[in-house]
Amino acid sequence: MKLFARYYRVNLATTIVVMLLTGIVYYWAISLILRGQGDKDLVVEEQEIFEYVRINHHLPQVFESKDQQITFTKVNGPVKREFTTANYYNAKEKEDEQGRGLVSSVMVNGINYKILVVQSSVETDDLIRIIFCITIAVILLLLLVLFIANRLILGRIWQPFYGILHQVKAFNVTEKAAIVPQPTDIDEFNELNDAITSMADRVKSDYAELKTFTENASHELLTPIAIINSKLDTLVQTENFNERQSTLLNDLYTSVSRLTRLNQSMLLLARIENQVISGHEAVNLKWLLEEKVAQLQELYADKEIKVTVFAEEKEVQASRYLVEILVNNLLVNAIKHNVPQGQIDIRLTADKLVIKNTGEDRDMSGQDIFKRFSKSAGSEGTGLGLTISTQICGNYGWKLEYAYRAPFHYFTVKL
Amino acid sequence: MKLLIVEDEPGLRDSIRDYFTEAGNVCETVADYTSALQKINLYRYDCIILDITLPNGNGLDILRALKQNRYPDAVLIISARNALDDRLKGLDLGADDYLSKPFHLSELRARVTAIVRRRSFDGNHIVVFNELQLDLQSKTVSVNGQQVKFTKREYELLLYFMANKGKVITKNAIAEHLWGDSIDAANNFDFIYSHIKNIRKKLVEAGCADYIHAAYGMGYKFAN
Repeated sequence: MKLFARYYRVNLATTIVVMLLTGIVYYWAISLILRGQGDKDLVVEEQEIFEYVRINHHLPQVFESKDQQITFTKVNGPVKREFTTANYYNAKEKEDEQGRGLVSSVMVNGINYKILVVQSSVETDDLIRIIFCITIAVILLLLLVLFIANRLILGRIWQPFYGILHQVKAFNVTEKAAIVPQPTDIDEFNELNDAITSMADRVKSDYAELKTFTENASHELLTPIAIINSKLDTLVQTENFNERQSTLLNDLYTSVSRLTRLNQSMLLLARIENQVISGHEAVNLKWLLEEKVAQLQELYADKEIKVTVFAEEKEVQASRYLVEILVNNLLVNAIKHNVPQGQIDIRLTADKLVIKNTGEDRDMSGQDIFKRFSKSAGSEGTGLGLTISTQICGNYGWKLEYAYRAPFHYFTVKL
Repeated sequence: MKLLIVEDEPGLRDSIRDYFTEAGNVCETVADYTSALQKINLYRYDCIILDITLPNGNGLDILRALKQNRYPDAVLIISARNALDDRLKGLDLGADDYLSKPFHLSELRARVTAIVRRRSFDGNHIVVFNELQLDLQSKTVSVNGQQVKFTKREYELLLYFMANKGKVITKNAIAEHLWGDSIDAANNFDFIYSHIKNIRKKLVEAGCADYIHAAYGMGYKFAN
């Protein structure tokens, strides 16, 4: 739920409740006052009757006044004086109206009479109703105006917040672009601006440090690896190894070469992420693909994999070095994770490069295959190939996607 | 061949020296910038194996000094900086080749041999080993003057062997030499075996002695 909506909902509910309560109290107060006024009129009339009887010793003539009707009834017992609700007959309209009555009694010449003075309360009710309606109308108008004003003002006030939010969503530590503070004169948003920009800067500098560390560490590792490698090369020249020794040496070689590749991949990744690999030239993807496929011929022929290439002329503006790495990684993957007598179809069109290959019968789209060091069980690769490929694609605004439609695994580069 | 090895890591320096030292080769070694500069001002070498990161100086400056003085020495840069920029800078400055660490000694040797051959004044582009002849220009192989048909890879492999005569070359080194990083695609090196089998068969059928010997299941050795 949006903050607006929540705020409005609470605001509206409380406003309505308070307004209703006010309305009820208002109604009650007004009707009480008006009724009091009416009752006073009735009492005045009663007093007039008493006065008349006291002077004239007979009942006054009953006459039709504007809004009062008086009736006298002979009674035997005493009558309790009280205010009642009674019907008022409107002669003009020829109908009963709601009225207020006062029941009293008077003794004329020893005979007890009950007095009923009735006054129509319709006008009073009308008055109350009109006042109530005007009040409600004012309340509704007030609510409407408040609602529109809030909407306009709040929408504008929150603008910087959405600006920041948008940037935070698009934030990527690997990218150079920093978060731009949103101009605002609201203290809270200024604080948010400061907090987020400084946090982003901190994250970036931490990340940069980490990358530098990775690069330096990989770099420092190269020399010892180079020494191990050269010492092994020297060792095998000393000859006369028995089978056990040569197996051990073979294992050593394999591990050192894995270590080398891993290390070089890490260095390469750090360098691509730092965008320190420059070079922007026209690279003919078709030629590059055909060249690479020819180069890898022995490798896929060894597994009896059938490779078909369909390539349209396509040139991209990029570093040849990186594009070669990208194409090589994708092709090497397609061969490495293939099955004997498998198939690889390479298709290059103006907008994409699709490499589909047979392989293990398993959809891997749910897994983080593009994540660092994610690799299939038993793979002797570095687990960085696809990460490097993704990073290269990212550098040029391309997109690397994976899909599985049995029996093919699809890797698509959207150019 | 007379070589100068400029490398500050003693372990690597000694391995390179040992690998290159044999009859007909002279290897000199220096460990830092100043002594390297002294050496190149005093002596001429067929090839200088030059590390870029050196104590008290940069290998690229030695290269600059060489070029400024118009010394004809060939230069092969070895560097732990696996950077494209460094490679380009080195080659721009006039280095003959660039090899990033870590590398196989056999690879270094093949590169150095190729540079020295290319640079040799007599313009000799024929490599001879007994009855076997490789023509570097036409990239052909002949036995007793009779041309034998070799594929590009087979030719490259044979040349690699001949540059490393008498040395055991491991399967890793062969695979990396021929396929570079793409070797990741291979699950094992068995296909190298079939390549070598083909080469031996072709040579023997052409009347050549079998010079390629398997070495303890680790690799091969080209020798008499």
